[in-house]
Amino acid sequence: VSHNGDRLERYAELAVRVGANVQQGQEVFVHGLVEHVDLIRALTRQSYRAGAAFVNVRYEDQHMRRATIELGPDEALTYSPEWLNTWEQSLAGNAQLGTSGNPEPELLSDLDGERVGRAMPLEAAEIARRVHGEHSVNWCGVGAPTEGWAREVLGEPDVERLWELVAFCFRLDEPDPGSAWREHLDRLDARAAALTELRPDALRYRGPGTDFTVGLLPSAHWGSARFRTAGGIDYVANMPTEEIFITPDSRRAEGTLRSSLPLSLSGQVIRDLRLTFEDGRIVQVDAESGAELVRSHLATIENADRLGELALVTKESRVGQTGKLFYNTLFDENATCHIAYGFGLPYSFDGEPDEGMNVSNIHVDFMVGGPELAVDALLPDGTEVPLIRSEEWQLAA
Amino acid sequence: MDERLERYAELVVRVGANVQPGQEVFLLADVEHHELARALARQAYRAGASYVHVRYTDGHVRRAMIELGPDEALTYAPEWLKTFTAAMSGNAMIATTGDPEPELLADLDGERVGRAVAQEIVQIRVQQLSENSVNWCGVGAPNEGWATQVFGEPDVERLWEKVAFCMRLDEPDPVEAWREHLTRLAERATELNELHPDALRYRGPGTDLTVGLLPAARWMAGAGDTSTGIYYVANMPTEEVFTSPDARRTEGTVRSSLPLVLLGQVVRGLELTFEQGRAVRVEAETGADLVRSHFATIENADRLGEVALVTKESRVGQSGTLFHDTLFDENATCHIAYGAGLPFLFDGDPGEGLNVANMHVDFMVGGPELEVDAVLADGTEVPLIRGEEWQLA
Repeated sequence: VSHNGDRLERYAELAVRVGANVQQGQEVFVHGLVEHVDLIRALTRQSYRAGAAFVNVRYEDQHMRRATIELGPDEALTYSPEWLNTWEQSLAGNAQLGTSGNPEPELLSDLDGERVGRAMPLEAAEIARRVHGEHSVNWCGVGAPTEGWAREVLGEPDVERLWELVAFCFRLDEPDPGSAWREHLDRLDARAAALTELRPDALRYRGPGTDFTVGLLPSAHWGSARFRTAGGIDYVANMPTEEIFITPDSRRAEGTLRSSLPLSLSGQVIRDLRLTFEDGRIVQVDAESGAELVRSHLATIENADRLGELALVTKESRVGQTGKLFYNTLFDENATCHIAYGFGLPYSFDGEPDEGMNVSNIHVDFMVGGPELAVDALLPDGTEVPLIRSEEWQLAA
Repeated sequence: MDERLERYAELVVRVGANVQPGQEVFLLADVEHHELARALARQAYRAGASYVHVRYTDGHVRRAMIELGPDEALTYAPEWLKTFTAAMSGNAMIATTGDPEPELLADLDGERVGRAVAQEIVQIRVQQLSENSVNWCGVGAPNEGWATQVFGEPDVERLWEKVAFCMRLDEPDPVEAWREHLTRLAERATELNELHPDALRYRGPGTDLTVGLLPAARWMAGAGDTSTGIYYVANMPTEEVFTSPDARRTEGTVRSSLPLVLLGQVVRGLELTFEQGRAVRVEAETGADLVRSHFATIENADRLGEVALVTKESRVGQSGTLFHDTLFDENATCHIAYGAGLPFLFDGDPGEGLNVANMHVDFMVGGPELEVDAVLADGTEVPLIRGEEWQLA
């Protein structure tokens, strides 16, 4: 086994054992782009080594998506094949691994943004959301370095350099990555517990182009991406993860938000996104590029125009420390503070989610953090408590 | 955009599967075939497909299952895959071949490799074949690994030229060339149907075999209609006329004349001995365990399902290339298949002579020295093939 082959297997093993935490006798459902073939094969091997009963693999292909949007009939855009619905249903009680890292982030940039935004198998997305809402899947999303992705990040197809960056974010350089991850998640959970204890009624964001207030739900708690299934399996849903997050009150958002990093989304890149909120809903969308795609989401997908997640990330983030823009939400959202429009996350609730949690068939994270962003907690009595200044954590824990 | 690739894909979509407006199209391809799969998707939408599904398969995922998975995984058919396969009924399907790593599984236990068949999936396909409910086409997808297997070097361009020649893509009007070619083959099938042979007799190096035929089974060329009347060409290239034999009446020995790439192993020098229809002895230079595993674990895999005649006019044969791919090599020369017979060759109930199995494996038996005779009901022997040339009419 070559050195690089060994890294790939160690990476896959960490994703399988610490990330999804595949259990003996579980089926594993792996999905990712055809260009991620090397990693997907390694994830398959490591899943079987971890005792998987069967590993299902579904290769996705952006060029198929492009053909559907460019040449297919209108009905094809939102069509959910029965087999895909069955795939999503089969996740219940099993493990799921997804790979990301777009080899051609602008493949769809010349297509009609409205059609690109509309192109989603709605029924399958809804089934997936429901199954995940029942806390019945231990899952993990990880990055898959490719030439195209490396070109986007580094300006040249230096996959080896991208692998080094990804491995650093993955804590693969640690002598014992498994225990490094445990310690890291303990730190994030302590931060989340301190913030939950503070019981803010709202968060206030102020920064360049941003002046925004969003309400919080009393029954929601802050947490890291270390989750537990209803059956008691602990897993880490994103690797890397550097955030603590909460599902906000989707009825209470006011003001304007400006994204601080480009967002690679569905084969287009959204730059300098500016959203204006009234009574919880997005009423205006502007962007330097990609505005049509976002407007299409908001126009065609119910409740896409409400918020589903607030997440706080500080400068200790390994992703942030790389100083790189990854053009991959999994990474970039862990470099800095972010917010998501679309569905809320049931992970924020111990029992039934509050009715303030947004229900939608989409969830799109975008980055708002940066050195000049100030985030405050607003307590019920009106007190303002600083949470983040200059990307540093301001609370005790 | 690669113009040859698009023309190739268009020919497959329009002449091969003959995708109809409003049909869904199912693409089955190795992950290494994604360039062709993408072109097929584009051409399918241009032909009016309502939706194009793709399922990429991966030899390495299969290898991991056989090498590292539990026993039950080998034959497991996931529910989503059953749903996918069943949805092909009434729709179009295109499958690509051209193994990027033909010996990927060569070091694995042949018995496990042979057993690793999701039989419930195969059953659905066998059912669809017997209902003739899918207009489908199998085509080659040149890639580096396949080119290396054929030429000893990863010369994909050279392989593309060979494949394009076999596909008649060099003709000024490939669609018209295919029409003429299929008409010639259909005439040959008609001649055999009029002759009504009771059996075929094969004689050649290592081969002395008699195979009984069924009066109800037609000879056919590689094109026909679905049950709803969509004319399609199931294999491109195709150079054969074929029928399903009487699975109960095979006697003698047959030796394969070309290597057979099968499930990640290469079967060389296969020699089968038949008694009362069943293979009673399997020998081979390599891959014998894999074939024995089929016979031991899959019901009726040890009986014959197809006999096919190919002559030297074959473009595949003319290319002078051993493709190490059944789709091509079986169209270079005469071949025989063990496993499932072909129910669409019968009008009405095929009866007990048609073999039913969850597997169909073609192997090549033809060559310059092979003689094939039709044995008529009265005992007369009529030469069909000598020196790879057609002897009738």
